[in-house]
Amino acid sequence: MALLSVKDLTVTFDDFTAVNSVSFEVEPGETLGIVGESGSGKSVTALSVMRLIEMGTRAKITRGQVLLEMPDGHSLDLLGQDEPTMRSIRGNQIAMIFQEPLTSLNPVYPVGEQIAEAVRIHEGLSRKASLIRAREMFDLVRIPEAEKRIGQYPHEMSGGMRQRVMIAIGLCCGPRLLIADEPTTALDVTIQAQILGLIKQLQLETGTAMMLITHDMGVIAEVADRVVVMNQSEIVEHGSVEQIFHYPSEPYTRGLLSAVPKLGSMTGQDGPQPFDLAGGLA
Amino acid sequence: MTSLVTGQDALVEIQRVSKKFPTDGKAQVHAVTEVSLKIEHGETLAVVGESGCGKSTLANLIIRLHDADNGKILLKGQDITNLNPREMLVHRQTMQIIFQDPLASLDPRVRVGTSVAEPMRVHKAATKEAALERTRQLFELVGLQPAMMNNYPHQFSGGQRQRVCIARALALNPELVIADEAVSALDVSVQAQVMNLMLKLQQELGLSYLFISHDLAVVERIAHRVAVMYLGQVVELGSREQVFRDPQHSYTKRLLSAVPIADPRQRTSRPLLTGEIPSPVWPAGEGPEVINHVEVEPGHIVAEE
Repeated sequence: MALLSVKDLTVTFDDFTAVNSVSFEVEPGETLGIVGESGSGKSVTALSVMRLIEMGTRAKITRGQVLLEMPDGHSLDLLGQDEPTMRSIRGNQIAMIFQEPLTSLNPVYPVGEQIAEAVRIHEGLSRKASLIRAREMFDLVRIPEAEKRIGQYPHEMSGGMRQRVMIAIGLCCGPRLLIADEPTTALDVTIQAQILGLIKQLQLETGTAMMLITHDMGVIAEVADRVVVMNQSEIVEHGSVEQIFHYPSEPYTRGLLSAVPKLGSMTGQDGPQPFDLAGGLA
Repeated sequence: MTSLVTGQDALVEIQRVSKKFPTDGKAQVHAVTEVSLKIEHGETLAVVGESGCGKSTLANLIIRLHDADNGKILLKGQDITNLNPREMLVHRQTMQIIFQDPLASLDPRVRVGTSVAEPMRVHKAATKEAALERTRQLFELVGLQPAMMNNYPHQFSGGQRQRVCIARALALNPELVIADEAVSALDVSVQAQVMNLMLKLQQELGLSYLFISHDLAVVERIAHRVAVMYLGQVVELGSREQVFRDPQHSYTKRLLSAVPIADPRQRTSRPLLTGEIPSPVWPAGEGPEVINHVEVEPGHIVAEE
């Protein structure tokens, strides 16, 4: 059985349907990529799975199921759970990291303390034990000079190091699913490569499944096992990464792929070349 | 040292241009150090590099939004390095710039048609009627309905807004358009459409572009020549084929190897990169070493390591 099954998920903001009857599954240990352009509904989908979408917004989950397979084997519909139950699920079962680590981290606490805090809240560890865990997490996410770095404040770290801290917070309670919403979009390309490499490596080491949300087809091609393509609040196509990139069946997917600049595609061309746009984009 | 310049009769030539900015305290950011480049008529020179490498500062120096500390900026052979704003005015018709975020570049309370016509008003380049007619033509040129001239920026999509900014940049018939991350904020389908528009305009109008970008895949598509910047200096310069197919400098190779390729069959198990770019901030009186360049083949210039 799938680790996560989303069925017929529908989310509205007043009259606007941001996510319309979306269904997909995430298997244990796999990476599901959700790709789409701005406003396609990919982040709302992720926040709905976490039951964070209704907090402080006018959003309403109007239909559907979000079934999570619990460690004891029974499946739990997250849409029917109260907030205390959801708090026990967030962090322990499903964790989430965002695009901009600087807005996710508290500027007035050292980063090590923020990892330790998550462990104390979710696992009830002592202060000392939680700090030891924080130190282990620093090693897991390959932050160099961990002894020194663990006491630093977020503003003292680079963007790449901050995102490593966020990944450490996300993984510190051993979740079975990590939702990463544009985790490398704000990073320079060489740092992006480091973080993507780290995420792949950590998946091998921990077996955590991942839902990777991005607008970047290059990132999807590098990391995802299966891909869901979203457009205008709906899933237009899903399949293996190979199917989506090499045998896309929907005009929207073909159009999207025709617009992606692919490094190396210009070999042997004389001058600059316009994109040969498909699927109604031309 | 081999000069970083090639060919004759350049539209723009910069010679050993440097720019430092003070930080708080006594340190300085060495944003651009001794950069020499040429932009030829009708070509696209792309400048690529990561955050803080000095690529935007370089663009702003060329168009004189910043004043260079050292070095020379030549526009069609004429030294414009020290011209005052009044003297610069006539040259600004030759060079125009487009920025990353079109919403920040357009006045929210001014109709876009008025924004597009504004350069003609400032430069007294056309009568009111002629400016209106020209604005209509510009809208058609960039693929917008002339009827949209009376709308406000918030009524447009991001791609349409960038088309408005391109129309405004073209209002005075410039020869050089500087595009500073001009397609970076756009969705990929819109980005491709705007890049196709820029290529079409280059064909039709014979424009030169200075294309500043962090995105190597985009640059490969649009550039004739490429300069790779690292910590304020150019580490590699050459034709698109030379830089992308035969990169020589270790930083260029590192940058290219980091680009995710939108093809799962080309998925690589490359070694985990480590390390970050050092700081361009130096204490007063200190600064980076100026690197020497060698020409490894005609037009392909590489920093010595």
